[in-house]
Amino acid sequence: MNKIIKVLTESRWFSSLLFLIALFLITGAINPTFLSYGNIITCFNSSIVFILLAVGISFVIMTGEIDVSIGSTMGLSAAIAGSIAQQNGSWVMMVVYAILLGLAVGFVNGVGVAILKVPSLIFTLGTYGIVRGLVYIYSGGRTVENFSGAFTRFSNSTVGNTGIGIYLLIVTVIVLIINVVETKTRQGKYFLAVGDNYDGAILVGIPAKRTKLIAYILCGIFAAISGIAFSSKYGQVTIIAGSGYEMSAIAACVLGGISLSGGLGNVIGAAIGAVIMSSISRLLVFLGFSSEYDNTITGILLITIVVLDSLLRQRNVENARRERLIARSCSKKEIRKGHSQE
Amino acid sequence: MKNKLTNIFKNWEFTLLAILILEFVIFGSINPKFFRIASIFSNINNYISICIISLFVTFVMITGGIDIQASSIVGLTSITIGVLWNDAGLNIWMAVAIAVLLAAFCGALSGFFIAYCHVQPMVVTLGGSFLYSGLAQVISNFSKIPAYQGISGFPGKNANGDYISFRFLGKAKLFDLIPIQIVIYLILIILCYVLLHQSKYGRRIFLVGDNPKAAEYSGINSRLIIFSTYVLTGIGAAIAGILLTAQVDSAKYNLGSTFTLSIITAVVLGGTLTSGGKGSVIGTALAALVICLLRFGLTLCFNISSQNLDLPVGIMLILVVSLRQINRIVHHLD
Repeated sequence: MNKIIKVLTESRWFSSLLFLIALFLITGAINPTFLSYGNIITCFNSSIVFILLAVGISFVIMTGEIDVSIGSTMGLSAAIAGSIAQQNGSWVMMVVYAILLGLAVGFVNGVGVAILKVPSLIFTLGTYGIVRGLVYIYSGGRTVENFSGAFTRFSNSTVGNTGIGIYLLIVTVIVLIINVVETKTRQGKYFLAVGDNYDGAILVGIPAKRTKLIAYILCGIFAAISGIAFSSKYGQVTIIAGSGYEMSAIAACVLGGISLSGGLGNVIGAAIGAVIMSSISRLLVFLGFSSEYDNTITGILLITIVVLDSLLRQRNVENARRERLIARSCSKKEIRKGHSQE
Repeated sequence: MKNKLTNIFKNWEFTLLAILILEFVIFGSINPKFFRIASIFSNINNYISICIISLFVTFVMITGGIDIQASSIVGLTSITIGVLWNDAGLNIWMAVAIAVLLAAFCGALSGFFIAYCHVQPMVVTLGGSFLYSGLAQVISNFSKIPAYQGISGFPGKNANGDYISFRFLGKAKLFDLIPIQIVIYLILIILCYVLLHQSKYGRRIFLVGDNPKAAEYSGINSRLIIFSTYVLTGIGAAIAGILLTAQVDSAKYNLGSTFTLSIITAVVLGGTLTSGGKGSVIGTALAALVICLLRFGLTLCFNISSQNLDLPVGIMLILVVSLRQINRIVHHLD
């Protein structure tokens, strides 16, 4: 029992979960109508696009890199899925195209960052521009809309009478599977190892370049799949669909306790962070603010959390060093004492 | 061959100049209108903000940092001027001064967290871009005019039809030809050049970027240097915001929100190392010119809509960084 408590309090995703619960409770205390089962489930249901994006990018962030092209990838995949849905195409087609697209973008990013060693922000900014341009070319500058009814209806269907959306169920299962893979398998642990200490990982024989490449490919695929969810949820895809989502996904990871310098955090944290991110505007409405405060609150939260995190880490490092110094001087004193007694 | 390649990469500014001439030749041969100075100048307002901000972001990137919040400060400056002038009834220059101070403060806030709390620049400026664009949205709520419409009608024309006061900054022309923005941009280039390449401050920026520890041990207050570069970028973004507002005669909270890609591309294309310690103002200025002419030429000669222009800029960025990196790898293998 004690061990479980210790594990929970030391894991970073648990504090984000507490933070999420606190947010809900505070909102509920101010406006009791919020605390209904339906409202809370809606918060989770409406965050699936962000969860998929955040889970994808969490692989890349764990390896210590960044990917800002995911918003564009999502937009392109959403446009493709939308145009398939216009012709009443099948789900299999959408998923296959999405995976191919994600694979391609992720591969290019991975080669640029892992093999050519271009700084990741710069390289993915480039692919962000290219893929966003492709969205314009693909959709001809027009909004993709008028999907077949079945496609949009599917996003509203729920599991029985529980109110839990089918997408939410699928996404939850995916997150849990990934969590098991990351904590139990060898390849899964490589992501954190490479992010924690790149050179050290190479020295102990971890294929660091390949791990980064895989992280980027997974990130691309998840971004592309979130595009399908996006177009089915919103029913239309504008040419700027998904712009700015990359920043929200990164922010979600930070809120979920994943360190942007790599090597720290897990996928459940990313999912919880995504729920926090997408719930903020909803909570604001219940608190009586206009949802225009959304960006401001997100910015304040993000900066506060990263600054606190950094300060705490520095204090820990400082404390550890002080303890070492004290221990060293103590041992010296004891040695001297020993000499004088002789 | 290999020697030639490295030589070209060593004289990066000459390469940029060559690309610039190539652009003139290609676009000019396809559409002679390209050479009409007036048509280039008439489009200048689309690009001048990118040019100005990239000058200052060069400073940040030489210290090894990055700034992705500058484009949100552009909108913040614009809406602050609009609301202070239109709804608070302040004198327009007073409003401008307050907006510049606010922008400098925004830069200082992020700079403080980066320099003194040692948080990664990328994360802080990401949070900053949320915060400042959100703040701009909040400020726009104080206005009687709905946010999507934008606050317009700034003071500017006298009885003779000459532009005076605030709109002078957007519409005036030197010798009836050169827009005032270009004059300001040239002045800023000279200022930045002196600051970065001729002054003690500039040498310290390079040293901090190249080797922060060595800089610290040689008695340089590296934290203050890093802090100051973010303040400068904030002010640079404010200048861009003022010029843009004066030009389009409309204060909006989301002005400039799409500039980030082009700004970073201009700085990287200009030869600034993202790891810090290397870069030049002239390189950035030339690179910004290359990007602007590319965007202008593609719309003029190939009828590509201006929304599509992320594509060529992205390809350019990727090509430059990849080639530079491949060159380095080849060089190391020798």
